[in-house]
Amino acid sequence: MTQTIIRGARSLRAAVAALPLLLGTALAGHAADIDTSKPIKVAMVPKLVGLSVFKANEQGAQTAAKALNIDFLYTGPVTASAQGQVDVFNSLIARRFNVITTTSNNPTQLAPALRRARKQGIKVVSYDSDVSPDARDFFIQNTDYAAFGKALVESVAKYTGPDAKIAILSSTPDATIQNEWIKALTAYMKATYPKMQIVTTQYGQSSPSQSLTAGLNILQANPDVTGIIAPDGAAEVGAAAAVQKLGRTGKVAVGGCSDPDSIRQYVKSGIIKESPLWDEVKEGELVMYVARLAANNAIQRNGTFTAGDLGSFTAKDGVIVFSTPLIFNAGNIDQYKF
Amino acid sequence: MSGGRNDVTARRGASRRLPLGNWERALLVLLVLLTLGLVAAVPGFYPGFGDFLALSENFLPFGLVALGLTTVILTGGIDLSVGTTASLAAIVMAELWTGLHLSIWIAALLGVASGALLGLVNGLIITRLRTEPLIATLATSFIYGSIATALAGDNPPSGFPDSFNRLGTGAIGGILPYQIVLFGVLAAFFSALISRSAFGRKVVMIGYNTEAARYAGIRVDRIVTLSYVISGTTAALAGIVLAAYYSAVRPDMGSILLLSTITTVVLGGVSIFGGDGSIAGVVIAVLLLGMLRQGMLIAGFSDMVTTMVTGAILLGAIALKNLFAGRGTGLATLLRRLRIRPAATT
Amino acid sequence: MSAPALQAAAALPVRPRPARGSAWLRRDLREIALVGVTIATVLVVGAFHRDFMSLQNLRFMMLGCVVLSLLSLGQTVVIATRGIDLSVAPVLGLSAMVTGLMAQTGGLPLYGAFAIALAIGLVLGTLNGLLVARLAIPPIITTLGTYSLYSGLIFLYSDGTQVDSVPHAYATLGNGVVASVLPVPIPVLVLGIVLLLMWFIIGHTRFGRAVLAIGNNQAAAYNAGIPVTITQVGAYTISGVLAALAGLMFLSYTGSATVTTGTGDHMELQSIAVALIGGTAIAGGRGNALGTVLGSLFLSVILTALVFVHVPPIWYSAGEGVMILLAVTAGRGARA
Repeated sequence: MTQTIIRGARSLRAAVAALPLLLGTALAGHAADIDTSKPIKVAMVPKLVGLSVFKANEQGAQTAAKALNIDFLYTGPVTASAQGQVDVFNSLIARRFNVITTTSNNPTQLAPALRRARKQGIKVVSYDSDVSPDARDFFIQNTDYAAFGKALVESVAKYTGPDAKIAILSSTPDATIQNEWIKALTAYMKATYPKMQIVTTQYGQSSPSQSLTAGLNILQANPDVTGIIAPDGAAEVGAAAAVQKLGRTGKVAVGGCSDPDSIRQYVKSGIIKESPLWDEVKEGELVMYVARLAANNAIQRNGTFTAGDLGSFTAKDGVIVFSTPLIFNAGNIDQYKF
Repeated sequence: MSGGRNDVTARRGASRRLPLGNWERALLVLLVLLTLGLVAAVPGFYPGFGDFLALSENFLPFGLVALGLTTVILTGGIDLSVGTTASLAAIVMAELWTGLHLSIWIAALLGVASGALLGLVNGLIITRLRTEPLIATLATSFIYGSIATALAGDNPPSGFPDSFNRLGTGAIGGILPYQIVLFGVLAAFFSALISRSAFGRKVVMIGYNTEAARYAGIRVDRIVTLSYVISGTTAALAGIVLAAYYSAVRPDMGSILLLSTITTVVLGGVSIFGGDGSIAGVVIAVLLLGMLRQGMLIAGFSDMVTTMVTGAILLGAIALKNLFAGRGTGLATLLRRLRIRPAATT
Repeated sequence: MSAPALQAAAALPVRPRPARGSAWLRRDLREIALVGVTIATVLVVGAFHRDFMSLQNLRFMMLGCVVLSLLSLGQTVVIATRGIDLSVAPVLGLSAMVTGLMAQTGGLPLYGAFAIALAIGLVLGTLNGLLVARLAIPPIITTLGTYSLYSGLIFLYSDGTQVDSVPHAYATLGNGVVASVLPVPIPVLVLGIVLLLMWFIIGHTRFGRAVLAIGNNQAAAYNAGIPVTITQVGAYTISGVLAALAGLMFLSYTGSATVTTGTGDHMELQSIAVALIGGTAIAGGRGNALGTVLGSLFLSVILTALVFVHVPPIWYSAGEGVMILLAVTAGRGARA
């Protein structure tokens, strides 16, 4: 009982704290511009229920759903598997949801089920991790891949110097979004820091314990590594914990992308100097705005639209870039609670 | 793994076992009741005959795996590598299709053949190296998983021809899914194989008592090896069907098959110690668990609740079965057991 | 299904068992072999990569095997009764999640965490034991069912949140050393104590003898007056408690817990593999606590070595599979 109260208070604080975020776009328009007369059913399907990042999306989505007259459901599989997500999609199709929003465990396996949904007139909005383009109406990209690749490199480059030996700790070899980021960061690194070197790429399977073990092994087996880029939530935490356990704070810089709650202690102890991400709570809000607009047929695959207080966004071939990278550091991390 | 043989057989002597088919009949009644209940109570569960049948496309790959796994479990063994075998076979198919530009159907055949080969490796490790099936197939599942990941690379193939994808999601005349046809034919074949062929009788005999089977002149190693080849083949077939269903392959796509399939086989009335069980029971269990899961999800229950209910049903069903068979010390038998000790067997 | 004629003839033990006489020698061989291979690996890889032999790396290879060792020690007792416990993974996860969330949001003191973990392990483990011993549900089915149930509890309790940081006392438990003059990591000490306890219980108590007797031949054990039900329940209770303790150690060492802790890494399969590498017989009747811990350390060393010799990460799990096969088949050779 006390548990829930404490947690409730925590999420309230988080919602308030998230307000001062700037999106670089002018505030314009309100929910009033959007036709909310007809209630619609929208589902949000994360890769797996039970991870804070997805919970943060849900938090924002809940808020927006209320304002947009959306009957909102947050549901997902208990294992990070495509089959689990497909089963959930099928049930949502049978229950005649108006919009399905999802971040995919992998882009290809989910496509047939989502195409079936679209055939039945259900709008599909993907966010965070995309599905095949023909299987969704819109994709909300967290940040532009090239910009994020740059931010990831810069999160360690400033502290390791331009000719450092870098290790990468990712999730799995075939993780779509991680591979996009690794591609982008490699390209940026080659262009900007030609002497920087990626000496090893390891995988933590998005598991905290395997990421920690991988982090320890990277540092032990490659003592000359001075920076670890870990573009995965569990991986960044694992890498930072490894640096801490080996007492290499200050000698090895860790960068990557995690929700602020999970890296707070490492940012404060100086192991992670900078960590780019985006505001997951606000992103959840945007997902609901796009869902509402898509259900209303009030949004074009190419064009601009206004999402209440979030500002205006541009869709290009159905892809909507949510924000520029938001860099967490010791100075600002306490403003974000998710 | 194959524990409890002695006490089980001991108690079997004391109390009459269920007459053949009771378990299957009970499952069948349950399946009918459940389906009718879901059709009546859950809106969206029965949107039309064709769509209703299409629900089975979501779980019949589990059924394919279950058929082969049943054969292995009947011998008293287990195959923990079915999941990675399915993944690896699907990836072999996809890589042959993209890499060597083979026809997708020939690639699929080779994929199934690769599953048979993986099963053969399992069988040989178990029989030649005298390794327990559990540990042997656990080890090979790690190895097959690595190979699958390596072959798949960082961007596994997808987008197979529509003619192939129909195997996973197509239906004859828009009504009867190909998956049902495939599963139906195979189920009939396995049923005949297990209960009507010499091979099937040997499988059951080995599972019932390996030593006795050996004394009776059965070439145990050969039959056991063959059962793993069969299990590898059906797992691979499931992998191919999943590939068609998703029109994509991933190195981890089979990982969800394992635990669910064991649950299905056991719920179908197959003794985990081997030597007892029928394909009919397994087939009904496939439909029962599949319909239950689809129905619960459509009714709005979360994946979590659905998973928990499946676990509870497994425990409840087997406890109930034991109760009627006079095993265990639950309720009815408790009093009797307090007075009568099981007969000495050794 | 089965022919009635067979039914009558089936009252024989399935597998002839090796004589117990040379058990001690065999057991020692297994341990000597594991120690030998582990040391050889350290020396060979260390010859090419000095850092592999560094004290720090050796320390982390030991630390890295603590959680799995605790889990596998419980598994060892259960397997020795000719059972199996798949539910250790969700028990580990639930214990880490419950104590972790309470510590994170409510500042639960460490002794409270021990008490709660103990209670979780006791209740869930005993439930497994009762299902196996009283309702005669085969162990693999029992724990497959409770695996789903206990995993569900993790989701129910966590309500989608996760543990990101733990109070200082926990971090000390997971990362500290016993004393500055005695630089033994605390988790290694914890494992040492549990190992000693399990070695004593399996080898030198009536309960331990009962465990092995049941694993050898349950009916005979029953007829010999051994309390089968209590012993079986006890074995699963021990497994539950050690899994919960492993969960607390996991939490303290990594400072995190998520809904997939334990189950996501398939710790249940890993723990079975480690017990078998360590010389415990899957057919019951033989349980080797020291072998289990050595097996776990061996696996930890091998997996680290693979990183040092630059084997691509994709092949780590294959390496593990090969090691399991080698250890088990080599052990069989030594037994024969």
